[in-house]
Amino acid sequence: MIVARGLAKQYGRQRVLDAVNLNIDQGERVALVGLNGAGKTTLIRCLLGLVPFEGDLRIAGYDVRKEGRAVRRSLGYVPQRAPYFDGRLSEVIAFFASLRGVAFEAVTARLTSLGLSLVEHGDKQMRELSGGMLQKVLLALALDGDTPVLLLDEPTANLDPRARAEFLRSLGPIDDQKTVVLASHRLTDVQAVAKRLIVLHGGSIVFDGSVAALWERVGATQTLWVRVPPEARDPLGERLRARFRQGMVVANGSALGIPVADGAGVDVLVELRESGIHVEDFWTESPSLQNVLEHLLGENV
Amino acid sequence: MTTATLFVRREVATALRTRWFLIYSAIFLVSGILLVSLGNLNVALYGYRGFAKAFAGLVHLAMLFVPVMALLPATATIAEERESGALEYLLAQPVSFGQVFFGKWAGVSVAVLLALIVGFAAAGAVAVLRGVPPALIITLFGFVILLALAFVALGLCISAIASARAQAVTWGLIAWLALVVLSGLGVLVAFVRWGISERLLVLWTFINPTEAFRIGIVTVLDPDLSLLGPLGASIVERLGAGGTVALTGLTLTAWIVLPGLVGWLVFRRAR
Repeated sequence: MIVARGLAKQYGRQRVLDAVNLNIDQGERVALVGLNGAGKTTLIRCLLGLVPFEGDLRIAGYDVRKEGRAVRRSLGYVPQRAPYFDGRLSEVIAFFASLRGVAFEAVTARLTSLGLSLVEHGDKQMRELSGGMLQKVLLALALDGDTPVLLLDEPTANLDPRARAEFLRSLGPIDDQKTVVLASHRLTDVQAVAKRLIVLHGGSIVFDGSVAALWERVGATQTLWVRVPPEARDPLGERLRARFRQGMVVANGSALGIPVADGAGVDVLVELRESGIHVEDFWTESPSLQNVLEHLLGENV
Repeated sequence: MTTATLFVRREVATALRTRWFLIYSAIFLVSGILLVSLGNLNVALYGYRGFAKAFAGLVHLAMLFVPVMALLPATATIAEERESGALEYLLAQPVSFGQVFFGKWAGVSVAVLLALIVGFAAAGAVAVLRGVPPALIITLFGFVILLALAFVALGLCISAIASARAQAVTWGLIAWLALVVLSGLGVLVAFVRWGISERLLVLWTFINPTEAFRIGIVTVLDPDLSLLGPLGASIVERLGAGGTVALTGLTLTAWIVLPGLVGWLVFRRAR
């Protein structure tokens, strides 16, 4: 669906993207991850055909450089910041729906399914709407029109936690055949949306693979948290430290965190039960992507 | 609906929501009606020159208001959307850069022309009722359209270059001040202080769209020294009435094409 070969972009003397090779298939959900200035937004702009670039870039079979309009017809786009458009919401939606060649009613229905009623808000000026509402409008426009690719450029960057959670939830029911590319440095967004991570650093891809592969590469594991009675915490900690590597077992209040390999958490719980230790509660925690990235980028800096 | 029609409708709607555009349009409408209603248009009594002199007021009104009516929406159209991020979102839609730029150009032009049609139709109807030949009103309106389109193109060029709305509107107002308000005064001062050559003055007349407009339309109405001024009269004497009208029309056309093209090149390069 998206194929890039030797993609490069330079602003003045600064090389923002350098020899990027990409192959994203139909239906894949990919996150472009990286620190600020890594090249995520520039890559999105290249995909949209908004900036000139070096190399070859094709989307849905169209050459981005030569067939910009056809490419953009294949893309739904939600930017980082909802732009302000003069006019009432219904007018703005009608304009962009017509521009994209989709029925106004289809966008309205999509908006309703995202929890935003045009009957209630259609007469409001765009500036009267909250950031979350605006992002929903842009998502509704991006999702309609049978576009095979959805580009999300840090779409929750300016949303409050509740609006962010709502926005991410609304991405859930998206058609499996739609390719989703999300640029973000918000790890919760990435984990909620993507199965494949492309880590950009200094304009180059430093990692391309699944979240599990990334963890494996940096040696990250899940943590099993067990909550035990306060009096049992310290003795249990000693026992666990003896069993696992010293320093790997961490305490947080009345809970102890134990690093476990994939699926090994059950064995630890059984072992605790057989040892007569009463576990009040337990849960697993994936390694923080932030830590994983720092580890990975530490290798590449 | 075609993409061009969509942009035209959108720009017209935006202009109609712009308070200053509406205020200037209203002032132009009322002043135009007052000028032709109260002016001395009595053809039977004073002959052709009677309404030509009264019409000079309408010409000066157009020189003052039409550029600013054109510059206000034109300078804002690209720069404002660039500043807010709306332009990038617009360009991310299935449209070409050309459709966006020329769509905006057409849209702002239509919005300005609609305001002028309302103003001129009212003033023109009063003038015709008072005995002014309709052909004269149409000629005057033709020149006003050229003047308006010239300033729309200039405004669009400024808007393509500027990075923010405030910057674009400021540059637009400076251009208006320079070309409309200070132009005649500047020429006079230069002539008196430095004694610049007549050739240079003639050149300036043809470089400045408002001067070209004034000399062109006055030549059509009545190429009289009192209306044309010494420089205009000298130009008409050299080129003849037909040549002067043709050259001023050509100047205004160049003012439509050249800034528009510069704006387009800048807009494309700004990718």
